[in-house]
This record gives sequence, structure tokens and C-alpha cells, in this order.
Amino acid sequence: MSDIALARVVPVERSGNISLRLVQTACIFIIALVVISPLFMLLVASLKDDRFQILADMGSFRAFWVSNPTLANFQEIGHFSGELAYGRYLVNSLLILTVTVASGLVVNSMAGFVLAWGSLRGKAVLLSLVVALYVIPQESIIMPLVVMMSRAGMTDTFAVQILPWVASPLYIFLFYQFFAQLPKELYEAAEIDGASIFRIYRSIYLPLSLPALATVSILMGIESWNQYLWPTLVTQTDYARPIAVAIATFFGQDSIYWDRAMAASVLMMIPILALYLAFQRWFVSSFVGSAVKG
Amino acid sequence: MTLQPSPAGARPRVGRRSDPGRLMQEILMIAPAVLLLGCFLIAPFLLSFWTSMTNQPLVPRPTPVRFIGLQNFVRIFSDPLFWTSLWNVTRFTIWILPVQCGMAFATALLLHQKIPCRNLLRGMFFLPAITSMVVVCVIWGTLFQYPSGPLNQIVGFLSAGHIQPIDWLGDPNWAMFSIVLLSAWQAYGFQMIVYLAGLQGIPDELYDAARIDGADAIQRFWHVTMPGLRPTHVFVLLITTIQAFKLYTQVAILTQGGPRGSTETVVHYMVRTGFEQQKLGYASAVSVILFTIVLVIALLQRQMLRRFDV
Repeated sequence: MSDIALARVVPVERSGNISLRLVQTACIFIIALVVISPLFMLLVASLKDDRFQILADMGSFRAFWVSNPTLANFQEIGHFSGELAYGRYLVNSLLILTVTVASGLVVNSMAGFVLAWGSLRGKAVLLSLVVALYVIPQESIIMPLVVMMSRAGMTDTFAVQILPWVASPLYIFLFYQFFAQLPKELYEAAEIDGASIFRIYRSIYLPLSLPALATVSILMGIESWNQYLWPTLVTQTDYARPIAVAIATFFGQDSIYWDRAMAASVLMMIPILALYLAFQRWFVSSFVGSAVKG
Repeated sequence: MTLQPSPAGARPRVGRRSDPGRLMQEILMIAPAVLLLGCFLIAPFLLSFWTSMTNQPLVPRPTPVRFIGLQNFVRIFSDPLFWTSLWNVTRFTIWILPVQCGMAFATALLLHQKIPCRNLLRGMFFLPAITSMVVVCVIWGTLFQYPSGPLNQIVGFLSAGHIQPIDWLGDPNWAMFSIVLLSAWQAYGFQMIVYLAGLQGIPDELYDAARIDGADAIQRFWHVTMPGLRPTHVFVLLITTIQAFKLYTQVAILTQGGPRGSTETVVHYMVRTGFEQQKLGYASAVSVILFTIVLVIALLQRQMLRRFDV
């Protein structure tokens, strides 16, 4: 729109910009290649079988090329029991992610909705409490939380990795903000028709909040998938160990099996990449930015 | 890192009919969040203040837990390793702010132009941000290989062999810088998204008006783009600072705080005292200090936003 208007007002400047635009485009593509190359290297290396060759190849263009790709590394680590049970760790992580995100969407969106449209008396106080709680970093509550959880006998369970991170001040606030921006006529019309508040939330507002749901899914998914400190403190056995913790154990060995570590890393990238690609369409960047200005 | 309820959110309530059924429903809808936050955020948070003033060990012992006042804090402040860790995260912050935010800002500016494959590029730049820090450590662990890893090859090539191979993670002078490199690579995609949102928030009319007034590209940048991005700059700088002070995973995996304490961080110090030395009370005191630092930074942001009148 503004471009059409511009072309009329200052036609000269646009034509003069072509070379500049070319340089900009070239720049951004080069930067993108540099940024992405470590990830590409990871993928290539995971398809090479010889762990010494992987390191030897690293310093040259061969880091980006594999002549005879093999899935041997993945077969080696993809077991569901035993020492290299990365199949199991992956399933553990997927389970934790799915339950955390699914219940997180329900719990946080309901709370956000009541804060936006409810008639509770203490609503304003609750809202400022949510805003205040946002400041508390996970790292600063982890000490007492570990003790609480082990007293409750929850060490080494899935629940201990899910429950603490379901409700979150940030996501409650994002939902609150999203719902509050929707027109109030929607609410009034439904209320006159005699719909209950849960009904209005469930059948009118929720279907309209796909961008919010997608954004929170991506943010929560990344957060849950990448948890490291917490699961190292509350898991001791394979039973509920997530893949992030399992991959880190490669570093404890005298000689690192880079081939296996690379394959496990690729394995770990796949689900979160799929989640991101699936929801990216609705991952409205302005929504992330909305937390800036409030 | 503070959230501020928008004025638009403070709408008048629609139905003032406060029948008990409706109230019950509202309470039921908000109850799960309140319960979970109460158990897993508020309770441990309050508990950390109490624990920080006791000599509680990690594993319960027959001897009773004693209230020891501020002794833990006194001990922390007289431990040189704590000051080292605080200085290290400060150093980390000073380095990562220009690197990460600069990269994010530059890519956002370039991406905001009309260029082909914009969405694809945006997705590519965001990829490291969705990559788990553990995976990032695997990747950079190989890049940092000494003496003939890829980074050393590049350095050797660019300097025509004049610079000796660098022991990125093993040399106390380089270790923190190496951590900065990989951290910036991993996290800048998120800041870029925030900058893109900020750029989209500047109305096109402002640029049009500036053009008509005869402002060239550089003038438009300084007089339209930069003022429009002020709240975004504040947000990005402070969220990066807070993240920097919480530095843990990459250090725990790649260097364990070494070599010779050069990458020891506050969170790593907390985990070590709490779980390796089993001094829960002491570690809780560290976590209270960490919270105080984060709180001060967050309040600073609020102050700055007020001053800019946004």
C-alpha cells in the first residue's frame, strides 16, 4: 500500500535504490548461510559412521559433505533400553512436552480469560500478582523446590518434570492480553443468549485465539524441550530421563563419541523443528512484541 | 522484563450480575492456575527466604535445623569464588550485550526490507533459538576442538598462520569469550523477532512524511526508526542482561566453571554448593541474591520505560 503511494511521491529514490537493495539481499543471504552452517554441519556429521573421521573432516569443506551417508549412528543409539536408549529418552521428552503444553494451554488460557472478562472481586489484585510473579526466575526457586519434591516422593517421575511448569505468569498474561483485546460485543451478545462464562470462553473466544495458542505452544514447547537444570536435579534413572540430560552425559566421558552425540542431537532437533514449522504460520511476532510495551 | 497491563485490558466488566453460579464457574476456571502457581512458584519462593537463614542440609540429618540469621550471606560475601562468579557473569553480560543485540538488530533491519524469501530467511535465523542448549554444546564442542578444529582452521586461514591455534575452552583467557560466542549464536534469533515486531510497530506514515520532508535514509534511521524502537531497545537489553545473569547450562556442560574458575557463574555456584556440598541453606541464600539482582534489573527497566514516556 505505502509502496504504491511512495512510487508516486518520490519515484527517483526507488530506482536509485536497486543496487543498494542487491547488496542488502546478498548480505542477508551470506549471514544466513554462516548462521545456519553449524546446524548443517551437525546433520552431515550425524550421517558419517567414523567418529575420528568426523573430527578430521571438521576443518575442511568435507564437514559439509558426506559421500556415503549412513544411518548407522541412529541405529546404534536408538534403543529403548540399555546403555544407549535414546529412543526411550526421546519418547520421555515428547511425553513431557505434550502433557506440559496441552495442560498449559488449558490452565493458562482459562486463567487469562477470567482475568480479562470475569467479574471476580479480587481480579485486579490477581492480575498485578501475576505481573509481579513474572519477575521470579526459575533458577531462584529451584533449591527449595527440589527438596519439596523429594519430600513428596516425586523424584524420578514424569509429574515432577511437568507440574511445576504448567502454570506460568508469562503465558497467563499473554492470554489475558489477547482476550482483553477482542471486542466486548462478542461477550455481551453471548451473555444475553444465556451462555455461561465457561461456555463463552470455550465456544466463542478460544476458537478466535489461534495466534495466541500457537505462540504459547511454540514458546512453551521450546521451554519444556530445552529444560536442562531441573531434570538433572530430579531424575536419577532412565525411567523419566529426558533426551537433553542424556545427551549431556556424552561430555562426561574421556573420549567423546561425537558420531553418537551428533545423531542424538539430530534426533532431538526433529520434534521441536516439526512443532515450530507446524505453528510458525500463526507465530505472530507482534504478539511476542506485545510483552514489550504491555 | 516487567509486564504492564495495557489500558485496553482494563475494560469495564460486562455483566455485573453476580449470581453465585457464575462466580463459582469463574473460581473453578482460575483455580488450577492459582493452585499450581501457589505450590510450585510462591511456596518455594517464600521458602527460599526462610531456608537462606538456616543451616539446613540437602539431606535431612538427625540434628535439628537451626536458624542462623544472616550468617549464610556473610559467608557468601566473604567467599572469593562467589565474587569471581559475579564478576564472570558481569563480564559475560558486557560482552554478550553488544554481540547478541547488535547481531539481532542488524539482521532485523535487513530482514525488514523488501527482500526475496523473507519468511524462509526469518525461519532460518530463528533455528538456533529453537535448538536446545545441549545440542548447541555438541555442535560448538566440535567447532572449538583444539588444536585443529574448524574455528582454529578459520582463524589460521584468516591470519595466514600468524595466530597460533587457540584452546577455546581450555585457556582461562579465552573460555568465557568462547561461551559468549556460542550463547550469542543460540539466542539472538529471539531478540531478532522482538526487533522485527518493534520495526513493524513503526507506522509507515512516519517514513512517508520524513521522505516528503527530504530526509535521506540515514536521517530517517536516526529520526524515525531509532526513536520508534526505544521501548524495544530497553526490553531487549534488559531481557538479555537477565538471561546473562542466569548463565548455567553451557558452562555446566562444556567447562564446569573452569578452567581455574574463569567461567564460574552465580547459578553454577549455587548448584555446586547446594548439591555437591549439600549446603541447602547456603545455596538458598545464593538464590535469594540472584533474585535480588534480577529484581533490580527489572525495576530498572520499568524506570527507563517511564522516563521514555511510552
